[in-house]
Amino acid sequence: MATAILEQLINGAMMGSIYVLMALGMVLIYGVMHVLNFAHGVLFMVGGYMAHLFFFNLTGSYPLAIICSMITLALIGMVLERLIFRSLRDNLRMQIVASLGLILIIQNGVVQLWGPHALQMRPQTVDSLVKVGQLSFTVQHFVIIGVVTLAVTTLYLFLTRTRLGTAMRATSQHPEAAVVVGINPNRVYTITFMIACALAGLGGALLGPLFLIFPQMGDAPMLKALSAIIIGGMGSVPGAIVGGLGIGIVESMSTLVVPTDYRDTIVFGVLILMLLIRPWGIFGVRVRGEH
Amino acid sequence: MGRLRIAAALAAALCAQAAHAQDETVTIGIVTAETGPLAAPGKFQMNGFNLAVETINGAGGFELDGTTYKLELQVYDTRCNAAEGASAMQRLATVDAVPIVLGELCSPVAAAEAPIAQDFQVPLIITVPTAANLTEEGNPFFFRINANNHQLNRALAEYIQANEIKPLAFIAWNNDAGRGGVNGMHALLPDDYKDGYVGYFNVGEVDFSNHITNIRNAGAKGIMLLMDEEPGALAIRQIRDAGLDAQLVGTLAMGSNRFLDRLNATYLNGMVQYNSFPPTAPIENIKAFNDSYKAKYGEESHGFAAQSYDAVFAAVEAMKAAGTTTDGSAIRDALAEISFDGVIGPIKFDEKGQAAPPVYITEWCEGGDRKVIFPTELASDCGSG
Repeated sequence: MATAILEQLINGAMMGSIYVLMALGMVLIYGVMHVLNFAHGVLFMVGGYMAHLFFFNLTGSYPLAIICSMITLALIGMVLERLIFRSLRDNLRMQIVASLGLILIIQNGVVQLWGPHALQMRPQTVDSLVKVGQLSFTVQHFVIIGVVTLAVTTLYLFLTRTRLGTAMRATSQHPEAAVVVGINPNRVYTITFMIACALAGLGGALLGPLFLIFPQMGDAPMLKALSAIIIGGMGSVPGAIVGGLGIGIVESMSTLVVPTDYRDTIVFGVLILMLLIRPWGIFGVRVRGEH
Repeated sequence: MGRLRIAAALAAALCAQAAHAQDETVTIGIVTAETGPLAAPGKFQMNGFNLAVETINGAGGFELDGTTYKLELQVYDTRCNAAEGASAMQRLATVDAVPIVLGELCSPVAAAEAPIAQDFQVPLIITVPTAANLTEEGNPFFFRINANNHQLNRALAEYIQANEIKPLAFIAWNNDAGRGGVNGMHALLPDDYKDGYVGYFNVGEVDFSNHITNIRNAGAKGIMLLMDEEPGALAIRQIRDAGLDAQLVGTLAMGSNRFLDRLNATYLNGMVQYNSFPPTAPIENIKAFNDSYKAKYGEESHGFAAQSYDAVFAAVEAMKAAGTTTDGSAIRDALAEISFDGVIGPIKFDEKGQAAPPVYITEWCEGGDRKVIFPTELASDCGSG
C-alpha cells in the first residue's frame, strides 16, 4: 500500500502542478482584469500544438520549443486582449459568451489545421525512466514538477519585486488609484493577459509530450483549474497554488479507495462543499454581502 | 428559319433530358463525428464511405431499370452527441429526403437516431457502434453491419481461458462501448477471471496512472484495454513505463501499422487483440481493399473504414434488389434479404438486423509484424495479420 500511495502522490503532484499553471493564469486575468476567460483551456491546448510545431519543424530542441510556445501564446494573448477582452472588460456575461465561442473557434481551427488525430511528441525526457523502488516514472514527471516550481517562484518574485509586478497588483486593487500614480491600466492588462497565456502555453508544452496533443486536451485541466481557483479563493495567487496542487493530489489519492471513474465526482464534490461552507475560498476575502 | 431554330432547341432540350434520365444521382445520408473528441475514428469512417462512393461512381455507377445512378453523400456531423444525431437523422429523413442513412460512431447516438429512422421509414445502417442491445429493440429499420460486443468478445474469451490469463484487469471507456465490453467479457468468463481491477475513463482523458496503481495492487496477469487507438497507445506506454509486464489484450483499433508507429515493437510484443479486419491477412477481399485504401489515403486501412465501405455497397445492393432509389420501406425489405461478399466478409443481416462478419484474434510478433491466431484454420505466420 505504501508503494501505491507514493506512486499516486508523485502522479498527483505532477498533475496538480499542471493545474497550478492553469489556475495561476486564470487567477491573474481575473484578479487584475476581472475577466473570466473560459478559453484558457484551449490556449493550453494551443501551447501543446505550438511546442510540437517548434520542436519538429523549427528548433529540434525541447527547451527551446517550450520557450517558443510561451512566446507565441503571449503574442496570441496580446491579440485576444486587445481585440476581444478589452471591450468586454466590464461585462462578465459577455466575457463568458465570448470565451465559450473562442473555445469552439480555436478547437475547430486546430482540427482544420492539424486534423483530428492526436499528435505525439517524444523528447528524451519522456522516453527516459526514473526508478523509485519498485516504481518507474518518466523523467518528464519530475521535469513538470520542477519547471512549475521554478515558474511559480519566478512569478512570485516578479509580482513582489519588480515595478511591473507592483503595477499589476496595484491595478488589481484599485485601477483608478493606479492611474493617479502614473500606471497605464491598459498596458498592465495586456501584459497580464500575455503572462497568463504564456503560462497556459508552458502547461501545454509540458503535458503534451507526456500524454497526447489533441484539440480537447485543455478541457479537463481547465475545469480542474477553475475548481482550484474557487477552492483557493478567486483572485488569490497562493489559493491557486494550494487549490491546484490539492486537487491533483486528492484526485489521485482518491482512486486508491473509490473507483477511478468517481475521481471527478470527488473533486467536484469538494468544490461544492467549499461553495457551501466557505464560498470565498481558502485564501479569498469575504466581500460584504457575500454569503 | 425560325421554325428550324425552335425545332433545334426542342431537340437539344429532349437530348439533354434523355441524357439526364440516363445519369441520375442518389443521395445517401451519413451521420458521424467529424469534430469533437471522437473526430479521429470518425475520419476512418468517412474514408470508407468516400472510397466506396468513388469506387462505385468510378465504375460508372449502378444501373436500375435502365437508368444509371451515381452516388453522392449528404454528411452531418453529430459530434457523438445524441441530440445532434437525432436532429441530423430527422433532417436527412425530412428535408434531404434521403432513401437510406449510414454511419454513426457512438452507440448512444445510434440509439437516439434509430426511432427516427423507424418513424420516417428510412433504413439506418450503423457501421461502428458495438453496444449489443442496439439491435435488440425490434426496430425493423435499424441494421448493423459490424460485429457487436458479444460477437467480438466470444473468441477473445476463449483465448483468455485457454491461456489462463487471470485475474484479468480492464481499463475501459466510460461509455456504452467500454462498459458494454466489460459486461460482455464478464458474462463470458468464469468467476476466477473477474477478480482483477475494472477502471473506466472518460473520452478525452489521457492519464492512466491511477488505473496502473490499482492494477499493480490487484496483481492482474492480463490487462484488457477497451478503447480506441489514441488512448490505447497512451495506456500501453504508461503501463510499460510503469514497469507492469502483464499480458496486454486489446481491441481492433490496436492491430494496425498505424498503432505500431505510435508505439514500437518492444511495447507491443506479445499483445493480442480482437480484430474484425486484420489488414495484412491473406484474404483476397481484405488485400484488395487495403491496396485501394493505401493508394487513396497513403496509409494502411482501418476496420472502421472497411465496415463503412461495405455499408455503402449494402445500400446499393438493397436499392438494386428493391428496384427503387427512393422508397425507404422497400429498401428496408430488400436489406433484410440481401447477402453479398463484403470486404469484411460475408454480409447477411439476421432477423434483428445484425450482420455476423468474421472476428479474428491477432497477435503482435517480436519484430513489429502481426499474425492471425484465431480462427485456427486461418492461423498464420508473423507478417500476415
